[in-house]
Amino acid sequence: MTTRQLRPLSLALTIVALIVCARVSAVGARAPRTAGTLEAGNIRGHIQQPPVVPIVAHRPSVTDLGQTSHAAIDRTKAVVYIDSAPRQAFDALPAGRVKMDQLNQVFLPHLLAVTVGTTVEFPNDDPMFHNVMSLAKGNAFDLGRYPKGRSRSVRFDTPGVVPVVCDIHAHMSAYILVFSHRYFAITDDEGRYAMPNVPAGTYTLKVWSELGISEPKRITVVDGVTLDVDFQVVKK
Amino acid sequence: MALALLPAAAAAQLPDHPIGNASGTLAAGAEVSATLSRRDDVAFFNYTDYDNDALRLVRVRFTGEWRPRTQLSVVGEARSVGRNHFELAAAFVRWRPVAKWRVDIQAGRIPPVIGAFARRAYGRDNPLVGSPLAYQYLTSLRSDALPDSVDDLLRMRARGWRPTYPLGSQELAPGLPLVAAFHWDTGASAHWSNTWLDVAAAVTQGSSSYPVVREDNDGKQVSSRIAVSLPVGLSIGVSGARGNWIEREALDHATITPGVSLDQRVAAIDAELSRGHLIVRAEALRVTFQMPTGRAPSFLSPLVAHSGFIEARYRWRTRWQLAARADRLSFSDVQGTLFGGALTAWDAPVTRLEGTAGLRVTRTLELRGGYQYNWRDGGRTRRLGFPTVQLLYWF
Repeated sequence: MTTRQLRPLSLALTIVALIVCARVSAVGARAPRTAGTLEAGNIRGHIQQPPVVPIVAHRPSVTDLGQTSHAAIDRTKAVVYIDSAPRQAFDALPAGRVKMDQLNQVFLPHLLAVTVGTTVEFPNDDPMFHNVMSLAKGNAFDLGRYPKGRSRSVRFDTPGVVPVVCDIHAHMSAYILVFSHRYFAITDDEGRYAMPNVPAGTYTLKVWSELGISEPKRITVVDGVTLDVDFQVVKK
Repeated sequence: MALALLPAAAAAQLPDHPIGNASGTLAAGAEVSATLSRRDDVAFFNYTDYDNDALRLVRVRFTGEWRPRTQLSVVGEARSVGRNHFELAAAFVRWRPVAKWRVDIQAGRIPPVIGAFARRAYGRDNPLVGSPLAYQYLTSLRSDALPDSVDDLLRMRARGWRPTYPLGSQELAPGLPLVAAFHWDTGASAHWSNTWLDVAAAVTQGSSSYPVVREDNDGKQVSSRIAVSLPVGLSIGVSGARGNWIEREALDHATITPGVSLDQRVAAIDAELSRGHLIVRAEALRVTFQMPTGRAPSFLSPLVAHSGFIEARYRWRTRWQLAARADRLSFSDVQGTLFGGALTAWDAPVTRLEGTAGLRVTRTLELRGGYQYNWRDGGRTRRLGFPTVQLLYWF
């Protein structure tokens, strides 16, 4: 192929690139493209949470001979997810292993989001026994009592919200959100989230927060475009 | 029992964690238990020192904690007693003078130090519907009325629900359990623990059988417990208590040997083994009651009672649990003119077997059903079984 033969092709590519740039500037920032993906865009934004009112997790300890204390629980995180995903979103889900630790009588992290088929490890790093369990429909489990240094695990195969508790220590609680697709994100300490490589299409974007509820938003993801979608969570 | 008809979905709407204020300094919780069984107005196997049948009872507890400072809290519990009456069953200050020392001082109407069951006697902490004999069964002794001879005592064998004696109060009242699990004593306790060791000691107004709010016999109870927790999930506790158990009103009429302290002494050992879905607990107690000498046939030595139980709970398929307890209460022999002058246990020994199956409808709602059978070596009714149903809800 000669330089003269390449010139029309280069010109055509340049025109296409200019058109794409024009579209992106009209909608949002330019999105990075990932090799091997079909048409996809990114979603990002910020979740405004209500003031964190401490949920009283500590049952009045009338029968105890002394004070019980535990670390503070971080309830400020939220999960953003698309309500229904395109068919290809379900292909080759990353069914890996993640960890939810038990330390200073709290679960760390307090909030996990995983895809179906993921196995969650629950190591006990406290000096006392713990008993991790959940009665969530489709994901009920009871790991029994086990001591420091031991770990037990659960594979989650049903989508849904899984409230996790310790049957011995009533103040210990956590949440695991199980999704049938990979298009979800947990907010960071500032309430920001980023959901890359979402297949182009129209979706309902939702927020799950322990602190309240938020109106779902209808969005359209355009190939190569980053959408900014913010939410405000209000107290239930 | 209306709650039992609630579908699980509706039950899930009930609060499942304590309530409190915005700053987190106040916390309040509650527990409701409704227990139903056959009526027992002949043998009174499950009567408590509250004059209730523990197997036919709706019991409500409201608990609260105010923590104005990290190391200071005020704790209280209002508990239903009978149908329309509430009692302030616990009210104390908890103070940790130095945060890093892990020493806690409690003062007021405080939880008992002795044994283990009394601190988990209610609802969800008790895997069965009934309570162990040592903590619930009423012996024929009373703190406000005394037998004047061994024969007076033997006449009351197996009548712990309503014993009467010639000395002291002539009012009808129930007898004493070996250790009161549902009445708490008043005083102060100190507690220290680390990963494997737990030590507690208390000075209180009453005795293990007879906790009081106000002193009424010039005697204090001293009690202590030391427990070791091993990494394999086994904890073993040893405890003891000594305190005066007879009210002044009864003492005024009694013949007392000078220099003899009319106290109740308790020696107890408790153990718990946790392994996966299985918990096994056991306790053994030896309790002595020093008696006034009285008229002939008189009390030549203290009255002794032994009690022991072993219970196990197994969690099964997440929502289900099975629990069983074997329990025995026996008494030392005394000799009077009754029963042909033979050595006879001063109260009728009791054996109890109980089994319960439980279903966790939600995390804080549990339905239980089971059966309890009692054998007693005395009384009009010597054997009696109780089918039991219990509904528990707490937050």
